[in-house]
Amino acid sequence: MTATTSARIREVRRPGAANRRPGTPTALRWELRKLAAQARARYTLLGSLLAPVLLVLVLDGQQRPPKDNIYGRHIHDSGYAMPLLVLGFAAQWVFPLLTALVAGDIFASEDQHGTWKTVLTRSVSRTQIFWAKTVASVLFALSVLLLLAASTITASSLIVGRQSLVGLTGQLLPSHAALPLVLASWATAIAPLIGFTAVAVLLSVVSRNPAVGVVGPVVIGLVMQLAGSLGGLDAVRHLLLTTPFESWHGLLTEDRFSGPLIDGLLVSAGWTVVCLAVAYAVLRRRDITGG
Amino acid sequence: MSDILAVNAVDVTKRYGALTAVDGISMAVAQGEVYGVLGPNGAGKTTFLRMLFGLIRPDGGTLQVLGRTWQRDGTRALDGVAGFLESPRFYPYLSGRVNLELLAGLDGGDAPTRIDRVLDTVDLTGRDRDKVGGYSFGMRQRLGVAAALLREPRLLVLDEPANGLDPAGIRDMRALVGQLAASGLTVLLSSHDMGEVEQICDNVTIMRTGTVVYHGTIATLREQAPEPAHRLSTSDDQSALALAAGRPGLTVLALDGALAVRGSLDAVDAYLSAVVRHGLALRALSLQEAPLQSLFFMLTETSPETVPGSLDRSPTGARP
Repeated sequence: MTATTSARIREVRRPGAANRRPGTPTALRWELRKLAAQARARYTLLGSLLAPVLLVLVLDGQQRPPKDNIYGRHIHDSGYAMPLLVLGFAAQWVFPLLTALVAGDIFASEDQHGTWKTVLTRSVSRTQIFWAKTVASVLFALSVLLLLAASTITASSLIVGRQSLVGLTGQLLPSHAALPLVLASWATAIAPLIGFTAVAVLLSVVSRNPAVGVVGPVVIGLVMQLAGSLGGLDAVRHLLLTTPFESWHGLLTEDRFSGPLIDGLLVSAGWTVVCLAVAYAVLRRRDITGG
Repeated sequence: MSDILAVNAVDVTKRYGALTAVDGISMAVAQGEVYGVLGPNGAGKTTFLRMLFGLIRPDGGTLQVLGRTWQRDGTRALDGVAGFLESPRFYPYLSGRVNLELLAGLDGGDAPTRIDRVLDTVDLTGRDRDKVGGYSFGMRQRLGVAAALLREPRLLVLDEPANGLDPAGIRDMRALVGQLAASGLTVLLSSHDMGEVEQICDNVTIMRTGTVVYHGTIATLREQAPEPAHRLSTSDDQSALALAAGRPGLTVLALDGALAVRGSLDAVDAYLSAVVRHGLALRALSLQEAPLQSLFFMLTETSPETVPGSLDRSPTGARP
């Protein structure tokens, strides 16, 4: 230490400092800045931008399209088919994984780094930290979805073309009508994606383990897919968080139906509210000891 | 200084299942005071400080910090309070400066404008742009002090700040804490090292298994401390031991291949002179245990009957 340390301490502790208290937006900026500094978050966003381009190139070059998947047989016929094929595929495990990469880690990483006590001994409350992390997770998930959608639709339109699209009931959708429907189809993934974000947040808070927070939602999503494919479980199927990912089908039929869309919104909202409520209660009551 | 106590704990208790980690602790720290909380590992010091910071909730009693309580004031209870618990932790993938910028953002006000000055205070200016993951333990400790100073605290709480540091790091950290204390800040210093607290603190609470075993001034403690113990090695320890017989105020015991000599400096001097006059060579003489250290061990490790009876054990013994 230098001889002038005492003088500097007195200088640091000068009176009359401004006393504005930080709010949740401040905590959100804090979390977003941390997120921006994480290689994992940056690479996930970059991957969401570039991977669809590669996928479109590969699928477009294939002589045998994936006919078993919805819109798989039409990928060479219209540039709007490829985004719907990718949407159906991503719903199986890609969306849960991509959102969980951040949401599943965002609380548990504070335990991993032992930084809870560093953060919670400042001027922000647990409630503010909770909402800042949750909103940051949702923003990240929406960014990933936006990048995937934009990249897939743009790449497919440029590489395959903007031909008319065949609807799910065989009707022909002209290009100008197909694009809004494709965009709307991707938008239907927002609600269940937020639901999976909430699941990841819950696992992150409860387990305090980033691995559980990241892998857990993927496993839960796959189990739900499996349960949804079993016969005789229709009542349960409606309550699964994976079912709303299929609600866009109603947008591409001759007679459009919105029942699955509304059900999907309600189910996603239910999962989101329950998971976040439990996560919030656990975090509020937790004794910060080791971390 | 204000009449409001920096820390006012009354009968504070914390239990984890069947284990009572803190058992009815009372403590009063006046503003401007440099106060030590001493105890061996597991005494309940850190648990008490966690309650002070609101990280855990007491099961009983009341705890006021600068006149505020967590129950009534929420995070405002930490206004004017800063410090760290155990070793300070930061995001390893960010630089020291960015870590401070993030924390300053969470503090609000003009905390961000103080970053350069606090980095300078803890001598981290040249390393502030390095990632914390590459910092030594001592650098992280100093960054912890810098993070605390960002808040312009009236009460600085440091939990074993020299713990885990190398000798140079301990020297630097003690110098820094001493200078912070000299600047008029109220400092609450937790430690298991009597020597560390003795050098800096005015008053001290000594804890053992969740309870207070001593509460008072360092001066009182020093008065009650037993005589210092020395380790003596001679050319013939058996003869030297025989020479100690009957000497008033002196206790000499054979211990681990040497002699443990306990007594006043005058008694020890006279004894050593006698040993030399008897033709024995002195091969080694070292201070085995400082007086306050001896008393600390007596208070925290031995049965209550062995502790000097005049020591004030009441929690309010040092109340200003």
